[in-house]
Amino acid sequence: MSNLKHRKKTRTIIRQLLERLEWLGHQIFYVVIIIGGQSGAYLLLLPVTFVYVLFSRKIHKQTSFYLQKKFPTLGLGQAWLATFKIVQSFGQILIDRAWLGIKKDAVLQGKEEGIDQLEKILEKKEGLILLTAHVGNWQTAISHICQLPAQINSLMHYEEEAVAKHYFDLKGQGCPFKIINTEGFMGGMVEATSALQRGEVVTIMGDRLEGGQHVEVEFLGSIIRLPISAYVLAACTGASIGIVFAAKTGKKSYSLRVWNVLKIDSKERSNRMSEIKKSAQIFAKSLEDYLMEYPYQWYNFYDYWNNA
Amino acid sequence: MDELKQQLKEMVINDLKLQEISPKDINDNDALFGDGLGLDSLDAVELVVLIQKTFGVQIEDMEEGQKAFASIQALAEFIEERKAN
Repeated sequence: MSNLKHRKKTRTIIRQLLERLEWLGHQIFYVVIIIGGQSGAYLLLLPVTFVYVLFSRKIHKQTSFYLQKKFPTLGLGQAWLATFKIVQSFGQILIDRAWLGIKKDAVLQGKEEGIDQLEKILEKKEGLILLTAHVGNWQTAISHICQLPAQINSLMHYEEEAVAKHYFDLKGQGCPFKIINTEGFMGGMVEATSALQRGEVVTIMGDRLEGGQHVEVEFLGSIIRLPISAYVLAACTGASIGIVFAAKTGKKSYSLRVWNVLKIDSKERSNRMSEIKKSAQIFAKSLEDYLMEYPYQWYNFYDYWNNA
Repeated sequence: MDELKQQLKEMVINDLKLQEISPKDINDNDALFGDGLGLDSLDAVELVVLIQKTFGVQIEDMEEGQKAFASIQALAEFIEERKAN
């Protein structure tokens, strides 16, 4: 019994130590950004990524699920390099987020495609769901869609005390869009419905299933499960869905593209699921197309195919 | 109020396609979500839209939703209060 208690205590100490190290790591990068800007932080990121990828077996395991589907013929060295590229791009996106929050003159140049389609939908006051995924620099790019002519709401899990701060928390100017916290009543779905009924925009991450109802679709050659909440919202409220992914395209540039626009006409429950499945498959196909162009901007570091 | 509660019960059963349940099986103070009728967040979406379409009453945010969706009794009171204003 005491042995069990001792092990539990040791695990707690190790966890607290790792949390402090993570906090310290972020603080070091914040200081480097203040002194050396984005370039300085990128420079520091290189050896940090190299050492991490060299010694962490965990990260190779975490990226292997995706790499085996995306590049089934990769050799050991190529897989190592691919992991390095993914971690490096993820690190750069976190740096950009902090840099935009800390430095007053920091700005990313964006290339936006298909935004006019979204503006036309909003003119009709029917509500718009922007469905996206854990790829590219979405969190940074979202600030640039705030220019759309409607209130932007983001259905997301938000922790004010998170170690990796959002750029708007670091800037101290308040969030440019309204956060609907998924930890709230009914996962924020009531508030999201009302927002869509008012003709507003609601952004939703459509790629991760965290419990709840789902559909099975094919993605990179195997079956995955996708959450259906966005599609149900669209079917019930008559809102359109814009599939939008952002990508980091250069040191100070990004691309924000509308990959598809969907409308789920089926308001009857009886044939709704088949319509939802079709739409979810279009989302998965759009994500595949995105990964053809940006294969190293995939940030689901777990066995993504194992929830089917 | 009783008529409204009956209408709400029928609406919940018919529009949310609840199986093997009739209006008289629902107590006015039964919880709509979770342990009560067992509705989930996706049912909440439909309910918000139905209430807006049927009664012209908008449930604006989480606070209002939590209050209104506590039970059939709470929902009826919420609708009556909104229509009176």
